[in-house]
Amino acid sequence: MDLKTLKQKMDEAHYVYDDTLATVLSVALQLGRPLLIEGAAGVGKTEIAKVMASALDRDLVRLQCYEGLDESKALYEWNYQKQLLSIQVNMGSKDSKELTKDLFRDEYLLERPLLKSIRSEKPVVLLIDEIDKADEEFEAFLLELLSEMQVSIPEVGTIRARSVPFVVLTSNRARPLSEALRRRCAYLYIQYPDMEKELAILRAKLPHVDDRLCAQVAVAVQKLRASEAILKKPSIAETLDWAAALDALGIRELTPDALRQTAGFILKNSEDIAVLEEMEPGEHHHHECGYDGNCGGHHHD
Amino acid sequence: MTDPDVYLEKLSYFSRMLRLDGLPISPKETADAARILTELGFADREQVKTALRTVYAKSREEQITFDRVFDGFFISEEAMRAQAQKQMEQERQMEQARQEAEQELDSVDLNQDQLDTYAAMPEEARDKLRRFMDRYRDSAERNPELYSNFIHSVFAKTLLEQQMLLEDAAVGGEATDPELGLLFRDISQFRDVEIPKAISIIQTISRQINGELTAKRGRAGHSGKLDFRRTIRKGLETGGSLYRLKYKKKRNRRKHLVLLCDVSGSMVQFSEFALRFIQSINQVSESSRVFLFSEEMYEADAFSLQNMDLFRDHVRKCGIYGKGTDLGSALEKLCAAKPAALNTSTTLLILSDTKTIDQPRALAALQEAKRLSGRVLWLNPIPQGHWQHIRSVQAFSTVCSMVCCNTLNALAAACRRLTIT
Repeated sequence: MDLKTLKQKMDEAHYVYDDTLATVLSVALQLGRPLLIEGAAGVGKTEIAKVMASALDRDLVRLQCYEGLDESKALYEWNYQKQLLSIQVNMGSKDSKELTKDLFRDEYLLERPLLKSIRSEKPVVLLIDEIDKADEEFEAFLLELLSEMQVSIPEVGTIRARSVPFVVLTSNRARPLSEALRRRCAYLYIQYPDMEKELAILRAKLPHVDDRLCAQVAVAVQKLRASEAILKKPSIAETLDWAAALDALGIRELTPDALRQTAGFILKNSEDIAVLEEMEPGEHHHHECGYDGNCGGHHHD
Repeated sequence: MTDPDVYLEKLSYFSRMLRLDGLPISPKETADAARILTELGFADREQVKTALRTVYAKSREEQITFDRVFDGFFISEEAMRAQAQKQMEQERQMEQARQEAEQELDSVDLNQDQLDTYAAMPEEARDKLRRFMDRYRDSAERNPELYSNFIHSVFAKTLLEQQMLLEDAAVGGEATDPELGLLFRDISQFRDVEIPKAISIIQTISRQINGELTAKRGRAGHSGKLDFRRTIRKGLETGGSLYRLKYKKKRNRRKHLVLLCDVSGSMVQFSEFALRFIQSINQVSESSRVFLFSEEMYEADAFSLQNMDLFRDHVRKCGIYGKGTDLGSALEKLCAAKPAALNTSTTLLILSDTKTIDQPRALAALQEAKRLSGRVLWLNPIPQGHWQHIRSVQAFSTVCSMVCCNTLNALAAACRRLTIT
């Protein structure tokens, strides 16, 4: 898929992107390389995989990584209970060699996300989320899949991909990933969106919310992220939740009172909320940040 | 540049340039880059840059190196001409300044590097040196042997300091990524406004190190003893047959850490950062005791180390802030502490720039501390390049391992080292 078509598809999915992101996605697609996305929590890494699934009209297969994740949870597992039942049922009726061979048929194979993604007839988008949370052994195990698009199961042999999935790996940089894994991927680093992009996201995702309120929310979120005192920076999803909550409460103007009432939607720990309460009322107003877009001209007295 | 052979050759040369700058570029990546450029063309410079960055750079740090090399390599003709002109102008100015320096300093025996440093120094600093030379000119003419050595040593010292300042000013990619700039900048050069940012970097890196340690502990293998309870419970899944044996995990033995921190004038900022770093790595040690010293030594409690303000207040209240350094006395007190602070299971970590009064006494006390403790590691905030000129560093480094920690990045590497061995 060329760059122009990809942009068109992302527009159709109402996804807000910049040229850099579109170019990186297009390069990864054209080269058939997995895409490794790094960035702080809440910048929209996972969303990229979802949008790609929608843009490419493919199913999304997701593998959420965690400490201790192994191949039985990620690739496949034999259905032991079913195998034992089969042994009990067929005991005496078959010779033992045939019985053993029978036990390793597809029927007894429980497909986990990785195997599912390469055995699918139609290509899918495979999201390996938060790879930095998995152990280093798991990274090493992924190498065969990412470079050769095949996996080895001792009882069955090598399984080659029926269709090549578009693989997206995300990482919050909780630990450095191995060089071997990095070198097999195309790389993208994303940061929090700037004011204009954030506003565009709000407009695209919440078209029913008043434009002036969206602008005020975007300005306030930018200020909170820029503040060194705020420990947990608001994510894009939290910005959307906040704007939706304000709208649901019928608030049309982001006054300091409204901000305090709904702070729990945007700030998720008590220290940050305390910092917000300590801020000067004037710091909440957009005109101090120099935003000159269509914000509705509130608090300009 | 429409001929494919020409741009492929250039691309191969670009890959070599990236390798020279430390990026591990394989032929596969060059082939990928060639393939993608064939598709995209060269019309849009930013697009080419993004596409090549995606292929070549595999981390945030590599992206910054890539951008620098790309901007230096793929340069438009006008920009190249302007740059060449600017460089010629700079060289001409430098040559002129060098000639002036030679004329001004004809009586002082300086090498070419020192002359270059003098030429690059700000006018104010040069003027100070000129005034110094004028003051001693008559004396030097009367007794050249005595005074020329003195003048030369003052010049050499000042020029070395200026050289360090110029190097510090050149450090870091702050313009492109402020966080990386802080990571590689001398800790003592941090401005007050940058301290919260530096603290958040410390938190991020210590989270990374903690993650690595957790992963390492998970991989550490088992103790060899069978865990019957877990084995039988797991066996229930397979109808009672003990399909997979479960073993008891190895007990994780962590170290007892004793930190001896120099909080004399210039060291207080470094000590604060280093302490914060070491303490935030919760898995480094089972227990830790922190001793602060300048001319006197005091033990710090955990409460006073909670944040920077409390730490500084505590240092001031103890009356040790801004005083000189007496490492020998501090180490002697530490060795004689009752109940004993040092024993064979402790790791003694010294945070100091090695500048102390009564060096022989400090050296003897360090040897005694080494004998008493399991291991001694010295974190030194002086850049390693300057160690060869400092006698105290050479003396102390013969007794214990010394690690350079002048930047947050080096400090992180030292903390990793502390956790490994």
